[in-house]
Amino acid sequence: MSLIEVKGLRKSFDDLEVLKGIDLTVDKGERIAIIGGSGCGKSVFLRSLCLLTKPDAGQVFIDGQEITAKGAKVDEIRRSMGMVFQKFHLFSEMDVMDNLCLAPVRLKGMSREDAEKKAVGLLEQVGLASRAHAWPTVLSGGQQQRIAICRCLMMEPKVLLFDEPTSALDPTMVGEVLAVIRMLAKRDMTMLIVTHEMNFAREVANRVIFLADGGIYEEGTPKEIFDNPKREKTIDFIYKIKYFSYEINEKDFDLMQLQGGIQGFGEKYGLTQRETYRLQICCEELVYGMLSHCYSENDTIEMKLNISYAESDHATEISLSCDGKAFNPFEQEEDGLGVTILKKMAKSIDCHTENGVNRMIIKL
Amino acid sequence: MSFSDKLNKILIQGGSWKTILGGLGVTIRISLMALLIGTALGAIICLLRTRKNPILRGIASLYIAILRGTPVLMLLLLLYYGIFARAGLAPVMVAVFTFSLNVSAHVAELLRSSLEAADKGQAEAARTLGFSAWDTFRLITLPQVLRIAKPVYQSTIVNLIQWTSVVGYVTITDLTRVINNTASRTMQPLLTIIIGMLIYLALSYIVYGIFALTDKIKAMRRRTAA
Repeated sequence: MSLIEVKGLRKSFDDLEVLKGIDLTVDKGERIAIIGGSGCGKSVFLRSLCLLTKPDAGQVFIDGQEITAKGAKVDEIRRSMGMVFQKFHLFSEMDVMDNLCLAPVRLKGMSREDAEKKAVGLLEQVGLASRAHAWPTVLSGGQQQRIAICRCLMMEPKVLLFDEPTSALDPTMVGEVLAVIRMLAKRDMTMLIVTHEMNFAREVANRVIFLADGGIYEEGTPKEIFDNPKREKTIDFIYKIKYFSYEINEKDFDLMQLQGGIQGFGEKYGLTQRETYRLQICCEELVYGMLSHCYSENDTIEMKLNISYAESDHATEISLSCDGKAFNPFEQEEDGLGVTILKKMAKSIDCHTENGVNRMIIKL
Repeated sequence: MSFSDKLNKILIQGGSWKTILGGLGVTIRISLMALLIGTALGAIICLLRTRKNPILRGIASLYIAILRGTPVLMLLLLLYYGIFARAGLAPVMVAVFTFSLNVSAHVAELLRSSLEAADKGQAEAARTLGFSAWDTFRLITLPQVLRIAKPVYQSTIVNLIQWTSVVGYVTITDLTRVINNTASRTMQPLLTIIIGMLIYLALSYIVYGIFALTDKIKAMRRRTAA
C-alpha cells in the first residue's frame, strides 16, 4: 500500500490559488524531490501534508489514515511523519538532549534512559555526540539542522518531509546536512524533499516533481527531468532561462532605452561585458535592418524583440518578429555591413515569413 | 542638633522605627497581593485579547486601553469614593483591587507582545512531532514567553511598588504616609524623606536582586550541563 496518498489537494490564500488540485502517490522507500520556482507552492504543498497549512479541499492519506478527515486524530497521525524546516526550529529553552528526548518520552512513553541511549546513538551517526548537552544557540546552522533531523528520527517516522533544509545555511555547511540526508536515503527512508539543490536532488531522489501553475507540471526520474525536460516551463526552470523583451512601435524608437535594457539584463544575470555588447550590436543591426526594409514612411509598426539567456549553459538567443513587408535580410544578393556582422557573430540563424509576419531566431 | 540626634529623633524615639516598619509592611502587602492577583488576571485578559472572537477581543482591548491610559490614582479614588463607597470594604482591599486591575492591564499587554515574539516555528516543530496544541503551548511556547517577558515584568513590579505610594489618599498608612507623618512630627522633612526614598530604593534593588539571582542560577545550570 502507498505510504502517502494525496487526492485533489487545493489551497488558496485570499485570491491567490496556490495549489489547484494535486494528486500524488508516494510508495514506501520513494525519495521524491520537489522542485519549482519560488512561490510555486512547494512549501505549502509539503506543509499541507502534515496539516500545518490547512488545505481548502482534497484528501491526504498517511499510511492509510486520512489526516484531512473530520475528527481525524491529527496529533497521532503526525507522529508517523517527521518534518525538517528551513530554519531548524530547535527548542530554544532546552539543550540538545532534551530537544531529542522530549517527544519520545512524552508521546511514546519511552523511558528517559532509553531515549537518551537512542539519542546518543543518533548523535553519533550525525557526528555530534559531543554536543549532547550544548544549547541550540551555541551551535552552527549546520549542526542545528542535523540535530533537527535527529529530533524527527527519535520518533521513528515512516516518512520525512524536508522543507528546503539547506536554504538557511551558509554554503560551507550545506554539505554536512546533505550528507545526513544521503545517509537516510541509503537506508531507504521515505522522503519528500523540497529543495533548490539540483545536483543533490538528482543524486538522492528517485523521482522528481516539478511544480508550476498550481499543480504537478512535470514529473519523472531525475534523468528525465534534469537531462531531458519535456515541457516549456520545466525547460526554463532547469536551464534557468531568463527573458528580456522589448516592443517597437515607431521608426525613431528609443535605441538608448533598448541598449540600456539589455545592459541591465546582462548585469542582472551575470553576462560578461563582451556577451552583453554582442547582444546589443546584434539587436541594433537586426532592428534597423528590418525597420528600413519592411516598412514605408507612414506604416504602423509592430515589432517584438525577445532575448533569452540560459544561466546553466550561457546559451543566448535573440528572436524578433515584425509585420510589414516580407523580408529576409540573410538572403539578399549582397550582404550589408549589419548582416555581415550578424552572420559572423551568430551560431545559427533561422529566418522565415509566415502569415505576414517575419520571424527570425538567432543563436549566439 | 547633631546628625545622630536627628536620626535618633526620626527613627528611635517613641518606637518610631516600628511605625515605619509597619508602613513598609502595608506597602509590601498591597504590592504583593496586587501583583499575584494582577498577574493571574492579566493572563486571563491576554487570553481574551488573543481570541479570534472580535467581541471578546474588543472587550479586552478596551479594558487594556482604559486601564493603561488613565492614572491609577484616579482609579483608586473612583473605586474608593465612587463604586465601593457604600460597600464597607477595608481601604486596603480597595487598594489591592485597584492595583490588581492596573497591573493586569500591563501584564496582559506584556504577555501578548511576548507571545508574538515567541518563535512560531518551534511550536510548528512540536506539532509535527505529534504534540497537542496545549502541550505545545505548555512545553515549548510558555517557557519562551516567560524568558521574553521577564525583564519587563521586573520593572512592572518595581513600578507597582512605587505607584502604591498614593494609597495615602484613601486613608491607608503605607510607607509614604508614615514617612510624611514622621517628617511633620519631627520637623525634619529633609532627612526623613531621604530615608523614605532610600527604603523604596532598597525595595527596588531587592526585586532586581531576586531576578538577577534567578538568571544566575539558570546560567550556572547551563554551564554545568554543557
